[in-house]
Amino acid sequence: MKKINKVLAFLLATVMVMSFAACGGKGNDNSNDDGSKKSGSKKSDTITVAIWDTNQEAGIKEILADFTADTGIKTKIQVTPWDQYWTMLEAGATGGSLPDVFWMHANEISKYADSGMLLNLGDQIDADGLDLTKFPADLVTLYQNADGAQVAIPKDIDTIALWYNKTLFDEAGVSYPDETWTWDTFRDAAKKLTKDDGSVYGTVFNPKDAQQTFYNTIYDFGGYVLNEDRTTSGWDDPKTMDAMEYVAGIIEDGSMPPYTTISETDQSALFTSGKVAMLPQGSWMVTAMLDNEYTAENCDIAVMPNLNGTNISIYNGLGWAAAAESANAEDAAKVCTYLGTETAQKKQADLGVTMSAYENTSEGFINKDTSKNLQAYIDMQKDVVIYPHSKDTNVWYEMSIEKLVVAWQDPAKMPDACDAIAAQMNEDLAAE
Amino acid sequence: MANNTKKSKWNIHNRGEILWGWIFVLPTMIGLIILNIIPIFQTIYQSFFKTGAFGRGNIFIGLDNYQKMFGQSEIWQSLLNTIVYAIIEVPLSIFIALVLAVLLNRKMKGRGVYRTIYFMPMVAAPAAVAMVWRWLYNSDFGLINQIVQRFHGTPISYISNPNTAIFWVAVVGIWSVIGYNMVLFISGLQEIPGDYYEAAAIDGASPVRQFFNITIPLISPTMFFVTVTRVIGAMQVFDVIYMMIDKSNAALPKTQSLVFLFYKYAFQQNNRGYGAAIIVLLLAIIMIITAIQNCAQKKWVTYN
Repeated sequence: MKKINKVLAFLLATVMVMSFAACGGKGNDNSNDDGSKKSGSKKSDTITVAIWDTNQEAGIKEILADFTADTGIKTKIQVTPWDQYWTMLEAGATGGSLPDVFWMHANEISKYADSGMLLNLGDQIDADGLDLTKFPADLVTLYQNADGAQVAIPKDIDTIALWYNKTLFDEAGVSYPDETWTWDTFRDAAKKLTKDDGSVYGTVFNPKDAQQTFYNTIYDFGGYVLNEDRTTSGWDDPKTMDAMEYVAGIIEDGSMPPYTTISETDQSALFTSGKVAMLPQGSWMVTAMLDNEYTAENCDIAVMPNLNGTNISIYNGLGWAAAAESANAEDAAKVCTYLGTETAQKKQADLGVTMSAYENTSEGFINKDTSKNLQAYIDMQKDVVIYPHSKDTNVWYEMSIEKLVVAWQDPAKMPDACDAIAAQMNEDLAAE
Repeated sequence: MANNTKKSKWNIHNRGEILWGWIFVLPTMIGLIILNIIPIFQTIYQSFFKTGAFGRGNIFIGLDNYQKMFGQSEIWQSLLNTIVYAIIEVPLSIFIALVLAVLLNRKMKGRGVYRTIYFMPMVAAPAAVAMVWRWLYNSDFGLINQIVQRFHGTPISYISNPNTAIFWVAVVGIWSVIGYNMVLFISGLQEIPGDYYEAAAIDGASPVRQFFNITIPLISPTMFFVTVTRVIGAMQVFDVIYMMIDKSNAALPKTQSLVFLFYKYAFQQNNRGYGAAIIVLLLAIIMIITAIQNCAQKKWVTYN
């Protein structure tokens, strides 16, 4: 037993040391904010700006430098990866130490807005004369609280376009996708591109990735996922079910990899390794796709397929929000509204950070890589539907994945899955 | 009189010792109380609430969370998954670790190197370990299936077949933990005085007989300790499953553990109260199992 005690003592000591180290780490973080524990409650001359995407850091830094030159207000960017970002923000909100300015997302906005965590930017918008009608209307209302106050400024917009592998198209003798492609053309092409030996498949839709894949199909077919009041599910709408039957058809054709592969390997990994010939991808994936040598060499982009000319892209966009309890609230609000101005939004696209939410400012985004048809993402902005969301999106969204997994394995069960999702989703929505 | 002075002296001495004793355990106690004990009670308290965002606006709902929980087949399935995982992981990891400990307790060349190799998985970050194994297991691109195919075998879908996925996940669990168990066993083995073996050898006992009649009984306290801690650890399995089984994996319903569900409800769906209820259930189960083990130890654990 003596030895065990020694081991235990050693383990306890390790745990203690580690927890001290953790405390020490936190202490250091705080000292960056002028040594105050609550950065939000103490007035300082630097505005902290929290984001999660390192790919965008450099560009945003440049835009904020312009802001500092204009106003003399200093800013500091803090990058926290997506996985820890929301934990950090949640802890900040609970403990009253949110960063001054930070990114907001459709999945989380209502939680923060309804708890009064976000600063009402209305006054600053009026003072700066920022014209919110220049932004997509759904994106503007997305970032309003229950009383209709604007609590975040739309930052960017993302759309979906179709990536395809030119080499695999050439091998199969199929012509490249363009704006004339309907969903039927897409299905036929997927069939032709699929090789019998299982080395190449036409396309892949993952049930967990609705935004980039079948949500777009659903809206093209005239169906919907969630009604406008966000009170009832559209999963049992006949047109939604037509769209999902169509998806089931592609699976039945054998144009998608076996479900084992879909569930074990990321869809973009399948595409970037040449195992799948076509893949709808969101504009946020562009940087990653261009960084991949194989895709950079073999692939290009086209607009999504349409149905009778209807070519809808699901879109979403981040928002710039400020903490309600920020001691530098006024300056923080100025940062948010500045980032929403035409100049800042245009610069964001020109620097290739993302497409911008402000009307007609995204053209510069295509210069990110002129060898690829990035224009497809801009063209997809013409007819957009906002990403379906409600107060507790995750609750019904994850439930829908569970049910779709069954249908993906046995496409004949698709109508049952749609009905089951609708029933459960209506229950979840009623409970919100 | 003389007796009295002696007694008070003893008291002063004793008091000093008690004081120092407290000072020494204080850091651990503070840590335990702040990081473990208070949160346990807070969690139990929270399980009776419908929780609002950021710990505000909690509504007391009595036993509703528990009622909902006991009615959900998902909960029972994942409890079963957790138990299956523990049944695979604990005995195998203890058996393999014990064999390794006996082998690596002899005088041999490169003993330190072998011990380090076996302990290595314990040092690596669990999430990283799970990611590597996920790629090894991948049925199309994974190294294991590439080797299988090289020898003209049929590729196996390790982590996407609902019937077998939990087993392959448990293999990773075993692999990660044998080094740790082994080190504990080695320290237990070194406690056993060498004369016992010498005496047994003189009496003509074979090494196998020595193992069962000397090693096993004398190492049983260590085994008890390892079993108790491993069962607790296995019941709390989360990271390997979370990292290896994707949201759209068909095997998810048959592999998700109770802690996985806790994470899903408490953190992904922001239903802290319901998450708390799940974890209270797990706490109760672990306490019962540990209590049973504590009673059963009298039957098989020999203390010197």
